[in-house]
Amino acid sequence: MRALVLLLAAATAPALAVDEDAAALLLADKTSTTAEQSSDWRMYAETAVRESRRQGAGIALHGARVSIDARFDKTFAPGWRAVFADRLDLNRMDGVPGNRDINTLKEAYLSWQAEPDRIVDLGRINARNGVAFGYNPTDYFRGGALRSVVSLDPASLRENRLGSAMLRGQALWNGGSLTALYSPRLADQSSDSVFSPDLGATNQRARWQLGLSEKLSAALSPQWLLSGGAGQSPQLGLNLSALANDATVAYFEWSGGRAASLAAQALKSLGDAAFRSRLSAGLTYTTPNNVSLTAEYQYNGAGLDQAGWNALRRGPPAAYGLYRGLVTNIQELPTRDHVFVYAVWQDALVKHLDLTAMVRYDAADHSRLQWLEARYHWTRVDIALQTQLNTGQSGSNYGALPDRRVWQAVLRHFF
Amino acid sequence: MKFKRLIAATLLIASAGAAGAAPNAQAILAASDAIRNPGKPFALSVTLVEYRNAKQTDGNTLTVYSKADANSGQFRSLIRFVAPARDANKLMLKNGNDLWFFDPSSKASIRLSPQQRLLGQAANGDVVTVNLAKDYQAQVAAEESVLDGDRQNRRCYKLALAAVSADVTYHRIEMWLDASNSRPVKARFYTESGQLLKTAYYRRYQPQLGVERPTETVIIDGLDPNWVTVMRYGNYAWREVPEVWLQRDYLPRFKPE
Repeated sequence: MRALVLLLAAATAPALAVDEDAAALLLADKTSTTAEQSSDWRMYAETAVRESRRQGAGIALHGARVSIDARFDKTFAPGWRAVFADRLDLNRMDGVPGNRDINTLKEAYLSWQAEPDRIVDLGRINARNGVAFGYNPTDYFRGGALRSVVSLDPASLRENRLGSAMLRGQALWNGGSLTALYSPRLADQSSDSVFSPDLGATNQRARWQLGLSEKLSAALSPQWLLSGGAGQSPQLGLNLSALANDATVAYFEWSGGRAASLAAQALKSLGDAAFRSRLSAGLTYTTPNNVSLTAEYQYNGAGLDQAGWNALRRGPPAAYGLYRGLVTNIQELPTRDHVFVYAVWQDALVKHLDLTAMVRYDAADHSRLQWLEARYHWTRVDIALQTQLNTGQSGSNYGALPDRRVWQAVLRHFF
Repeated sequence: MKFKRLIAATLLIASAGAAGAAPNAQAILAASDAIRNPGKPFALSVTLVEYRNAKQTDGNTLTVYSKADANSGQFRSLIRFVAPARDANKLMLKNGNDLWFFDPSSKASIRLSPQQRLLGQAANGDVVTVNLAKDYQAQVAAEESVLDGDRQNRRCYKLALAAVSADVTYHRIEMWLDASNSRPVKARFYTESGQLLKTAYYRRYQPQLGVERPTETVIIDGLDPNWVTVMRYGNYAWREVPEVWLQRDYLPRFKPE
C-alpha cells in the first residue's frame, strides 16, 4: 500500500511542479512594475511615546518625542557632491527638568572627486571606523558626538551623532586606499542651545588620522589606522574581518598607544600614562532561517579593573560622577572586560516583522543592560515596540542608570 | 575580441549540432552566459516583486553596476538600493563570496556571510549575473521539449552542471538552453544534499546592449512553490566601472549616475 502511495506521489510530482510553475508564471504575467527613480533625499518623521520606571522607587514617568530626520546627497556637477544630514528631536518628558528640543547637524560637507581614484572632502563629516558591533575602539571621532540619544541600539548611536569638521583626502588603488584627515580646533565649549551646530562638542581640539587599507588576499583586507591630536599620543588601530564559513563572519578590532587611564583623565590626576590596548573581537553567525547572532568580547585597557571600580563606587560621589560623565561623553567602557550579544531575526515568524535583542554585560560588577525590539514594517511605515531593562547593584555600570525599565513605542513614516 | 571568438565558437557548435554531432556542453553554457551577461562593464536597474500565496508581499528597486574579473571571469557588482524608501541609497558590494553592506546613515561597512540575507530577495541576483561556465562542469543530459516561460514548447538541451569549486552557492544546477540559439530558458538550482533551492524561468527576450537578452526572471522557491519572485531588468547601459571602485573603501564614495 505504502509503495502504491509512493508510486502515485512520484507520478504526480512533475505534474504538480508544472502546475506550480504555471501559476507562478501567470503571476509574473500580471505583474506591472515601474522602476522607481532614485532620490537624493531620504527623510522620515518619527513619533514615540515612552514609559520609564526609575531604579529603586519604581515611579512611572511618561514622555513623548517627535523627530524629523533628513539626509540629502546630491551630485550637482561632474565630480562634485554635496551631503547634508540633520535630525530634530522634540522631547517632552513628565517631571523631568530640562525637556529639550535638540537639533543634531550630523553632516554638511562638499566632496570633490577630481579623478575616479582621488577625492577631497571639506565640512562636517561623520568619519567612522570599526568593524565591531557594540564597542569600536578605533572609532576615534566618537568622543562628544552624541547630542541626543533616542535609542541604545548601536545602529542608532552610530547614525544619530555629530560629525566633526574636517578636511579629508583619499587616494584609492586596485585593492586598497589611503585616507588622511585633519580636524581643527574650532570652539572651546559644547553648546546645548537647540539649533547650535555644536562644534564645541566635536572640535574642541585639533586631531588627525591616517588610514591605510590593502588587500592581502581575496578574503583578507585589513585596515590600519594612526590617529592623534593635541594633548594625546598617537594611537594605532587595526580592523580585520574574514569569512569563517558560508554562515559566519569573524572580526577583530584593536587600538593601542600610550594613554592616561580614564580615571586619571576624569579626575585630572597625572602620571599614569602607559601603553594601553582596547579591543573588540567577535563572530556573527547566520542561521538558515536568517537569524544573525553576534557575540563580542570587549576589552578596555584604559578602564578601571574590578578592584579600582569597586573602590570608585565606594568612594566620594563626586569622583564617581566625574568618571561616569567622562566615559558617557566619550562613549567608552568604564571597566575592563565586557560581553556583548546581539541577535536579529528578519521576517520573524511573519513577513516584515524583525526582532532584535541585545545584552551588554559588565564582567567587573555583573550588571547587565538588556534591550529588545519588535519592528513591523510596511512600504513607508514602521511601527516598533522597544523595552530596556537595566539590572545590577547600586553604583554598578548598568545598575546606576537612572531608569530600571523603559518601554517605548515608535511610529516612523518615510517620505 | 574574446566575445567575437565566443560567438564564432557558438555558431560553429550550432552548425555542428545541425549536422548531427554531439554538442559541446561547456561551449553552449558559455554562449548562454554571454546572452545573460553583457561582455563589457554595464549598469542596469532591477525591479523585484515578491509574492507569497499569490499576494504581493514585497517590492524593491535596485541599480546594479557590474564588471567581470579579468582573471576569474566572474562578475563583481556594486548594488544600490533605490526603493523602498527605508533602504534607499544603501549599498552592497559583491565580489564572489566577498560581500559588503554599507549604510550611508550609519557609515557602517559590514562584511556579510553568503547566508546572511540582509535585504531579502536581492540575493537572487546570483541567479542572474553569474558566469556559470567558469564555476561548473556541464554535460548534456538530454535533448527534450520543455515548456518555456511563455508556456510554449521549446526544443532544449538539458545541461547537468556540477560545481567545480566548493565555494559556490549551488552545488548542482539543471539548465535548459534553447537548442537553436543557446538562450537560457529554465534552470533548477540544488543544494549539496540534492534539495531543490529554486527554479528560474528566463523570459521576455528583448534587444539590450546589442544582444537579445532575457529581461525578466521568474524565481520559484524550491521549498515553498507559493513563494515567487519576479525580477525585471531595464535601463541597460554600458558603464565604465574602474577597478578601484570594487572595494570596501569605495562604498561610501559610490554615487551612481
